[in-house]
Amino acid sequence: MSIKAENLTHIYNKGLAYETKAVDDVSFTAEDGEFIGIIGHTGSGKSTLIQHLNGILKPESGRIFIDDIEITSKNVKMTQIRKRVGLVFQYPEYQLFEETVLRDISFGPKNLGLSDDEVVERAMEAMRLVGLDFETYAERSPFELSGGQKRRAAIAGVIAMRPDVLILDEPTAGLDPKAHEDILNMIRSVKERAGGIVVLVSHNMGDIAEMTDRVLVMDGGKLVRDGAPAEIFADEEFLKGIGLGVPPAARMANVLAAGGLASDRSVLTLGDLTDFLANRLGGAGGGADDETPEVSR
Amino acid sequence: MIRDITIGQYYPEYSKIHKLDPRLKIVVTLVYIVSLFLVKDFIGYAIVFASIGLVVAMSKVPIRFILRGLKPIFLIIAFTFTLNMLMTKGTILWSWGFVRITEEGLYNAVFMALRLIFLIIGSSLLTLTTKPIKLTDGIESLLKPFKKMGLPVHELAMMMTIALRFIPTLLEETDKIMKAQQARGADFETGGLIKRAKAMIPLLIPLFVGAFRIAQDLAMAMEARCYHGGEGRTKLNALKFRGRDAAAIIFVVIYLSAVVAERIFV
Ligand SMILES: Nc1ncnc2c1ncn2[C@@H]1O[C@H](COP(=O)(O)OP(=O)(O)OP(=O)(O)O)[C@@H](O)[C@H]1O
Ligand SMILES: [Mg+2]
Repeated sequence: MSIKAENLTHIYNKGLAYETKAVDDVSFTAEDGEFIGIIGHTGSGKSTLIQHLNGILKPESGRIFIDDIEITSKNVKMTQIRKRVGLVFQYPEYQLFEETVLRDISFGPKNLGLSDDEVVERAMEAMRLVGLDFETYAERSPFELSGGQKRRAAIAGVIAMRPDVLILDEPTAGLDPKAHEDILNMIRSVKERAGGIVVLVSHNMGDIAEMTDRVLVMDGGKLVRDGAPAEIFADEEFLKGIGLGVPPAARMANVLAAGGLASDRSVLTLGDLTDFLANRLGGAGGGADDETPEVSR
Repeated sequence: MIRDITIGQYYPEYSKIHKLDPRLKIVVTLVYIVSLFLVKDFIGYAIVFASIGLVVAMSKVPIRFILRGLKPIFLIIAFTFTLNMLMTKGTILWSWGFVRITEEGLYNAVFMALRLIFLIIGSSLLTLTTKPIKLTDGIESLLKPFKKMGLPVHELAMMMTIALRFIPTLLEETDKIMKAQQARGADFETGGLIKRAKAMIPLLIPLFVGAFRIAQDLAMAMEARCYHGGEGRTKLNALKFRGRDAAAIIFVVIYLSAVVAERIFV
């Protein structure tokens, strides 16, 4: 399983006075097992970029390969692509339409032409993964659910297709802390169970640092950085310059550093910060002052 | 895609025609349509052509934009053209079996097709050069006399304004939902009529739910800002009759006199 994007460019409203180059000459590859985060200012082209990865949008120029299939070529079967690349849109709850939650979640698997038993089995599994109790919710109307429950049901609709590549566009936007944490845990467990590639678009730097092992930074349609979270978040000045920032834990560490406590650039997550502080405070008498804590991710 | 529909579209530009009072533009368009039915020969059409050509040039709307408006009714034009050509009796020019084309038929066909084309050009010029909001303002103002007869003029105009305002929003929404369902393997493009109609369900239901949501939010937002209907309501940009409107009236009077004179004397 791999994704390869070559010199991808997308222009909205081409030829009109208000045309926008939303994605501008973007190239990257993703290998099996990677967890990729995409960050960027509002309007930087993140959503546009990821919609190319399952063929929903066609690029103005450039090519995309999923394994060895060139999905940008004309004679490729779209169902084959959508089976392998699952895309959860921004605010996916607006796509719900069926009479019951179960039937809505079954829509995707059914379109793959699976048997009824298989469809129900997958839907049940997806509901379990997103934390919707089957007994309680399967026969409810999706329109009667709360915002957070709708979001879970909509995400389950994509997970039930068991894609090799799972792409999520700001899946936690507008959710309460509990639902937020649940969704992240759900993504982790899907990744653990199915492997493959996960791509997470988020404005929450903490989540990105916590979850991903590689970060792509978009600005004005261009891919401006591509690297490990530690590398990307080390350059706070640059990120601030393009309207982004660093995770809260890293900010805290930077503030402590400015206050005189020996700085540590490798603090990204709350776990890192705890280790760092424990080391600083607890180890003060042990003479271990200069030892940098191990980065655990 | 669906965004390419141009009928009733506005073309943003700063021309003298764009700036005219919308009430005047509506009335003039009606006068123009009536005048087309007064024309009885091609000399009359020459007057029409010269006048509408001048207005198009002044409006700065590209010709290709105006011609694009003709595309959807091309079939109707072709249909009337063929019917007129084949059904009129007279001197036979050419015949084959029971199909015969007469001189009068050909004349009629060209004449009618021109009338339709001029009609469409004139009325699309109205929407191309007038913002929807101005257009409904104009209609509201023109219909005011009927208020006394119990016609809810302001409410009708407000409904039209809202409908026009939300067309792009709903198109955008459609686009978004369509993409989301395609990502779940929905197929809107292949299959027979019934299969395709069925495939529309996952698109239409969220669209309707969304439309109701938008309507509710809008109603709430309007009420929160104390909207209470037309009684005693003033306008931010009140319509005003200006010098250029007077100039336009003089132009229209000259045009109409020319058309009428041509009909009577030539
Ligand atoms: N359907 C569309 N038609 C025209 N322009 C669009 C469309 N969708 C996006 N754009 C434009 O393309 C650019 C990139 O938009 P995109 O939605 O990819 O940004 P984003 O990075 O996902 O932003 P956000 O963080 O707000 O979701 C923006 O300038 C936007 O205005
Ligand atoms: Mg987006």
